[in-house]
Amino acid sequence: MHASHSWRVTLQAVFLFVFAGISARAQDSEIRIGAVLPITGKESKIGGAYKAATELAVKEVNDAGGLLVRGKKMKVDLRLLDDTSDAAKSAQLVEQLIVQQKVHAVIGGYGSQLVQAQSVVPERYGIPFISGGAGASSIYGRSKWVFGTLSPVENLAETQMDFLFDLVKQRKLKAPLKISLLRENTEHGKDFQKGVREFVNAHPKQFSIVLDESFELYAPDFRPLLMRVEAAKGDLFMCDAHLEDYIAMHRTYTQMGLYHQMVTYGARGADEAGRKALGAATDYIFASGWWSDLLPYPQVKAFNAKWKAATGNNPQWYHACAYETVRALFAAIQNAGSLQPDAIRNALARLVLKDSILPGGVLRFSKTGEATLPFVVTQNKPAGKLDLVWPKAAKTGEPVAPIPR
Amino acid sequence: MQQLVSVTLSALLAAGLYATMAYGLAVIYGVMRIINLAHAGFMMLGAYVTFTLFSRFSLDPFIGLVVVGPLFFFFGVVLYRAVGKSMARSGATPSIESLLLLFGVWLVLQNLAYVIWTGDTQSILTSYTMKSIEIFGVHVGVPSVFVFLASAASLIFLNVLLKRTYLGKAIRAVTQNRDAALLSGVDADRISATAFGLGTAFAGIAGGMLSTLMAFTPDFGRSFLLKAFCIIVLGGMESVTGVALGALVLAVLENVLGAYTPVPTSLQDAVSFALLFVALVAFPQGLPALFARFERKAIR
Repeated sequence: MHASHSWRVTLQAVFLFVFAGISARAQDSEIRIGAVLPITGKESKIGGAYKAATELAVKEVNDAGGLLVRGKKMKVDLRLLDDTSDAAKSAQLVEQLIVQQKVHAVIGGYGSQLVQAQSVVPERYGIPFISGGAGASSIYGRSKWVFGTLSPVENLAETQMDFLFDLVKQRKLKAPLKISLLRENTEHGKDFQKGVREFVNAHPKQFSIVLDESFELYAPDFRPLLMRVEAAKGDLFMCDAHLEDYIAMHRTYTQMGLYHQMVTYGARGADEAGRKALGAATDYIFASGWWSDLLPYPQVKAFNAKWKAATGNNPQWYHACAYETVRALFAAIQNAGSLQPDAIRNALARLVLKDSILPGGVLRFSKTGEATLPFVVTQNKPAGKLDLVWPKAAKTGEPVAPIPR
Repeated sequence: MQQLVSVTLSALLAAGLYATMAYGLAVIYGVMRIINLAHAGFMMLGAYVTFTLFSRFSLDPFIGLVVVGPLFFFFGVVLYRAVGKSMARSGATPSIESLLLLFGVWLVLQNLAYVIWTGDTQSILTSYTMKSIEIFGVHVGVPSVFVFLASAASLIFLNVLLKRTYLGKAIRAVTQNRDAALLSGVDADRISATAFGLGTAFAGIAGGMLSTLMAFTPDFGRSFLLKAFCIIVLGGMESVTGVALGALVLAVLENVLGAYTPVPTSLQDAVSFALLFVALVAFPQGLPALFARFERKAIR
């Protein structure tokens, strides 16, 4: 008797909860979008940039009257929270946005560690989640609700190898080439290593790996590691590193008088902070990125102008990726014509954003939820000049290879 | 042969760097029995002050240390006067209050740095940053050589201060037995404030020197703190010569493993912690005490 009574109460509670939810959604007069970003703390620099780009994308839509859903324009209410670059807090805030603020979708943060922590929450509540700041493959494919606009880091390495392979084909570099491969001991680094290894395994006549080592983040002394690099006598130096480690390592590399025909630090190289810290020692380093303002597409030129008008500065890759993440989500909401989580999620999975500002010009997601866009390759030139050297169709200058001694 | 020279030089330079990071921590622990968790925060602040002196006043980072040292000494004394009552004053083990308090100070300093300098990565590029000199055919970075020389000068300064001056003798007296020092008329509170100032000054100087070698953010210093702990445990916690010795042992081990074994260099930190573990178990009083024990045995 007691048992059946408690069952009835529970069922009533469930119905009330579901009904309340449905009626709350039925009465939606605006689209609630949550965002959790590292606005303060160690990731604040790029986190702050993500905030600015997200707000710009939302403002543009609201200035135009909002998004078209069920035949009427609805404004976007952005609820942006700061996780202070703390992974535990980041996940907690995503939960808070979903449970308490009943957002229709969540925009994830910047940094693979933070997004990894966030990405377990959407599955629990069945809410679409899209991030523009995490390239580690391990984040994707575990939940159907998680999407990301950064192509996997593995593709970054593959793009660099494609670029090097093309230099071999052009006879600028002479095969066979020995690679000294270093990577930071993170998911990002592992993906980089995997990308290089797979390419080398597929092209054994052109490339071989003579050194494959990892290092801990923020190591105080890179000399022992670089002594191994020196002893390995590689032709190419390929490393995946954070900005701080790139600066410290390349200082030691230069002081030790090391030389390789081509040098890369993965996504690092074109950064203003790196060039300021290393001066002419960064000349001819090539780097891969998720975006470049040098891309020759009309939509990129329009975005550059729009960003400059809004902020007074030239956009960086993180501004573009954050902006495009919001645009992808908004396009999916309009395509879904509904604010139901399932409908938005399915629209994201089917999305083909044809006027994308990202490399390739078309943004779509793979089965695992990751965007699979090509990367761009830039090469630093003397006097602070930077050229886009890959893809070939978009290049603004000829790649210099091998690096002059 | 060339590799041996290279490994020896690398180990020496790294030892200079490591010792610099650890002196301040050892001075404060020796006198006050406090594990200064704010040490990393002081180093970070030292890096930023050096950076500001360089970028605003074009002051060379190594000359800037002449400003950083006294400034941080004063800061340390003021900090001790402000919160020193909450720290341990006697006893052989650090109090939990002092640990929490100094951890709090570290967090405050870190957030203060975010407010003042933002989270942007900063670095110092001088005319000699990328230059190197050739020693026995091995290229070594000029800033690393300067750091090594500054570290050797710090060791001499601290040894002279502790062994040849009244202040030094008073510091050693408080280090050995605070109550007995008090009974002998030593103002232990003033000595503690001075030692805290001295430790803070050395942390600031270490940060200033590290800023010439690497880039930094307000998060800077965390990984160095762990290494510095290992060094002072190895060096005997109270002896600056021991600290230099501990730094040398750690640097030699890391470089030899890097050059002559297939052990991945990513295990460098694991080497530090393994050494810390061995030191705590096998010779908790540090290397100087271990050598003294061997010496006594040999005499017998």
